[in-house]
Amino acid sequence: MNRRALIAAAAAIGTLFTAPMALAEEWRPSQPMTMVIGFAPGGSTDIQGRVLARVLEEHFGQPVNVVNQPGGGGAVALTRFLNAQPDGHTFMFGVQLGLTFSPIVTETEYDIDDFRYAGTLVGGQFGVVARGDAPYQSFEELIEYGRENPMTYAQQLPMDQAIMEIIAEQEGIDLAIVPTGGGGGMAPLLLGGEVDFAFSGGTHAQYTPTGEMNVLAFLTRERSPFYEDVPTLVELGYPYAMDDFRSFFLPGGTPDEIIDAFENAARFAVEHPDFVDVTVDNTLHPIVFMDASETEATIREIREANEALMAN
Amino acid sequence: MDFSAVGAAAAEALTLASFIGIGGGVLLGYVVGVIPGLSRSVAISIAIPMTFYMSPYIAISFLIGLSKGTAAGSAVSAILLNAPGEASSAATALDGYPMAKQGKPKTALQIGLIASVMGDILATIILIFVAIPFARVALLFGPYEMAAILAFALVFIAGLSGGNIFKGLAAGGLGIFLGTVGLDNQTGLPRLTFGYTELMDGMPLIAVAIGTLALSEMFVQSEKLRYERADMAVQMKHDPNDRITWPIFRRILPTILRGTGVGTFVGALPGLGPSVGSFMSYGMAQKAAAEPEKFGKGEPKGIAASESADNAVIPAALIPLFGLGIPGNVSAALLIGAFAIHGITVGPLLLRDNPELLYSIFAGMILASIIMLVLGWYGLMVFAQITRVPPHVVIPIVIFFCLAGMMLQGYGTFGLVILMAFAALGYLMKKYDYSFVTFLVAFIITPMLELNLRQSIILSRGNWEILLNRPIALVFIVCTLLALVALILRTIKTGKPVAGAPAD
Repeated sequence: MNRRALIAAAAAIGTLFTAPMALAEEWRPSQPMTMVIGFAPGGSTDIQGRVLARVLEEHFGQPVNVVNQPGGGGAVALTRFLNAQPDGHTFMFGVQLGLTFSPIVTETEYDIDDFRYAGTLVGGQFGVVARGDAPYQSFEELIEYGRENPMTYAQQLPMDQAIMEIIAEQEGIDLAIVPTGGGGGMAPLLLGGEVDFAFSGGTHAQYTPTGEMNVLAFLTRERSPFYEDVPTLVELGYPYAMDDFRSFFLPGGTPDEIIDAFENAARFAVEHPDFVDVTVDNTLHPIVFMDASETEATIREIREANEALMAN
Repeated sequence: MDFSAVGAAAAEALTLASFIGIGGGVLLGYVVGVIPGLSRSVAISIAIPMTFYMSPYIAISFLIGLSKGTAAGSAVSAILLNAPGEASSAATALDGYPMAKQGKPKTALQIGLIASVMGDILATIILIFVAIPFARVALLFGPYEMAAILAFALVFIAGLSGGNIFKGLAAGGLGIFLGTVGLDNQTGLPRLTFGYTELMDGMPLIAVAIGTLALSEMFVQSEKLRYERADMAVQMKHDPNDRITWPIFRRILPTILRGTGVGTFVGALPGLGPSVGSFMSYGMAQKAAAEPEKFGKGEPKGIAASESADNAVIPAALIPLFGLGIPGNVSAALLIGAFAIHGITVGPLLLRDNPELLYSIFAGMILASIIMLVLGWYGLMVFAQITRVPPHVVIPIVIFFCLAGMMLQGYGTFGLVILMAFAALGYLMKKYDYSFVTFLVAFIITPMLELNLRQSIILSRGNWEILLNRPIALVFIVCTLLALVALILRTIKTGKPVAGAPAD
């Protein structure tokens, strides 16, 4: 049932029945809502989240306040979120890494089972990048080049490091791997010629149009809609993938009708021009919709893949 | 340069809406800067949603005006209350507060303001005319160079806070130790977090800075209030001689120019930040002065050096941002987000695709500096009235703002506990004459130094000879060693503070 029809129906029967009975159709918030973002203001999650908040206000008819709880790549916010009331008025627009990666390397107070998942809105675009003027223009050429020359790689997450270590060993490449402290640190290292190739969580989007950077391969399970010619590692014959999506997280014990309402809200948002604009044009992420059950299944799948990778 | 775009840019900069937007940003920033506990990055992050309803040009100029305002405003609390709002103004307090206590608070404020505005305008001009085409020069500073510069900054700044070298080493060592807390940036494994997810990103910088700088000072002053009530606080008299004069200005002008140079250099290198800039500038001014022993006792050059560099960093941090798309510091990183909200991707593409907007922003930045001069000049008369409020009223208000500023960071009660712990630490350091400046700078520099050192060691594959191909790094390594030797010799010879130590 779409939103307008629902409102009409609610209005029509609202005079006959008490409000809670009408709301049994679809859950609606009864007070201002709080959207938690596990990152500091100004990052891409925050920017998308702030526009999303305005789209949700339109959808739910209640103000949506954005609260930033930065720290530990989302782990701080998830830990605090354990105490949130499961009444639908507090929810997270979250990055999955806090669930698919953090619990593997550190003891977190939470785990996947402590929350509910109500729909995915945004996809990631993890890739391997090189300078535009490098002597290799594809991943195959990089491997060829690497067999002859010692190479350097800038990592950002232990998973991408693990993948590159496996590939380097398999292909007989002498590879030194340096930490970067994030995408902002990667760009000067790569553009300044200090490293031969690097991991990119999305930073490349602003350097590929000028030809300063090339994406050689994607680590994601599917190709990026923005770079249709660039293959994934899996397609190149290396069975490793890293993925991350941005989804609605709700406190554990949240009733199904609220999950359904958020799934519908996610459907509404991914078609809303404001949210699409900010995601695709301004923060350069693909829109990816998944429903609640698919979202949870994906989180568990990625977690298992990461665990297997980190065990290596 | 495209002159029709420049003309259009100037026209947009001079509309009423832009005056109101930019003026509002500068005013808000100035007020935030004056209040100890509220910091630049908090102000920008709170203000970003406010810019949703502005045109891109006004929004960006508003935010840049805001950061400029905080840099100028934070000198006020440093000078009048000895409670710098941010680490970058801590060097201002070293001479500003003694000068204010000597009955020249207005002169100190005016020196601070003029140094701020001049550092700001000059650095903006460098940004516009020189820097963007040469932004690529920053890429010459790879991990080897950055590690060498950071090590030099650490030793250099430790040296200028004087005193016993062993106490200095203890303070710096504690800063380095606490700076290593958090997730290892390669393996992602937690170090010294003791199971607190809040510590995964390290000790929150804001808590450490507010605690050791502002809150601990309030503890010190409460104690003084109890035992030596007569000697308290700054008195504002209607003294016609308490104003900046032409001879003073001529005396501090070379210092301002040097400070602007230092601030621009530090700002243009991604990652160094304003506190490194203001302390480097302060140290260089002291080294260059004919009477270095006057520093720390109310030397106008000390205020000028710190404030000019602090403000020059802000436009200079936009050099790598506009030239390469790489943010120079935290505030510049927040600006990327603000640009994105308005549909603009910052970086080299901006000049090609959107020159009019870029020139408008430059015009807005110059306008912001001028507004800051006017607002600051009259504003400091208003803020100077703080000195009329008795300390037993000011101290609890400042403590409240420190706690409130921490809550705004979103760390919850955990942040307050950390804040109080560092306030206690700062109090003890001040009491027993350990340099809290060395501690704080070591804490700020350590994560960057560690990352760059680690990158250098891995990339060189352990072969130190690679440094022979890196002349810039080599120069800074030699300077670091020389500074270290000088420091040890000085301690052996005198065993006494040279300058920059607490005023009493």
